[in-house]
Amino acid sequence: MIDPDTDLVVRAGRGDRAAAQALMTRHLPKMMTLARRMLGSQSEAEDAVQDAFLKLWTHAARWQPGKAKFETWLYRVTLNKCYDRLRRRPSAKLEEAAEVADPAPAADTVLENSALAGEIEAALSELPERQRAAILLCHHQERGNIEAAEILGISVEALESLLGRGRRALRARLGHLRD
Amino acid sequence: MGNEDEEWTQDVLKDLPSVSVPPALERRILADFDAQAARRRDGWLAGLRDAVWPGVPLWRPAGALAFALVVGVTVGTYLPLDDGVEQTASVALDAPPSFELGESS
Repeated sequence: MIDPDTDLVVRAGRGDRAAAQALMTRHLPKMMTLARRMLGSQSEAEDAVQDAFLKLWTHAARWQPGKAKFETWLYRVTLNKCYDRLRRRPSAKLEEAAEVADPAPAADTVLENSALAGEIEAALSELPERQRAAILLCHHQERGNIEAAEILGISVEALESLLGRGRRALRARLGHLRD
Repeated sequence: MGNEDEEWTQDVLKDLPSVSVPPALERRILADFDAQAARRRDGWLAGLRDAVWPGVPLWRPAGALAFALVVGVTVGTYLPLDDGVEQTASVALDAPPSFELGESS
């Protein structure tokens, strides 16, 4: 399968700004959504995504086409940046950190603050980080199981196990919303 | 039950609103790209600059080095270290040692 991003990555590696901008336009919204849901904070998500793109710009010149799918690699880098930030949180529980007021204004603030979205986000933030990542990749980012397993660096069986536990935990917490 | 959980999760997560990407973030990311591209254009000199004085333009470490060189040469040329006392040291290699050896018991 031909990776649709290869040409853009190679050109960005040669310093082509238009290619870099096209890559960013194509992937930034997905990475931002993943980071925001993983970290529960808009400002932290922005920093994590910026770090991920910085890593992309640093590595673009050495990118080897055909070795890995670019989008898979970028998802993995973004997730790792999120894990780094989650582990750097000293004492606050993830649940509390997710509820820290975010000073960054956003167009979707009204919706974000809706009780339903808030409840879902809180339930997600209570999941262990690997389960949360698996749930978000497969159910929110619509990655297939094989790709999600590759992003997480685990087997498909391990991914399914994470998904199973994550779904049950979410349903136990949010069962009243749909049952 | 597994499939049911799967559908349920899919359905619930649909209610999450989309996340906006602030234009300022796009600008920051592109600024990082520009800085990286400039660094690559400058080549090994920029690498050296970053090792000595990270994140500054090249003229600054070069200027600091030139300034230190000028000050050093000026001091060495115009400020003689002669304080009026000539210090000489002579060692007579063929003279016997001037210290006494204690008797061994």
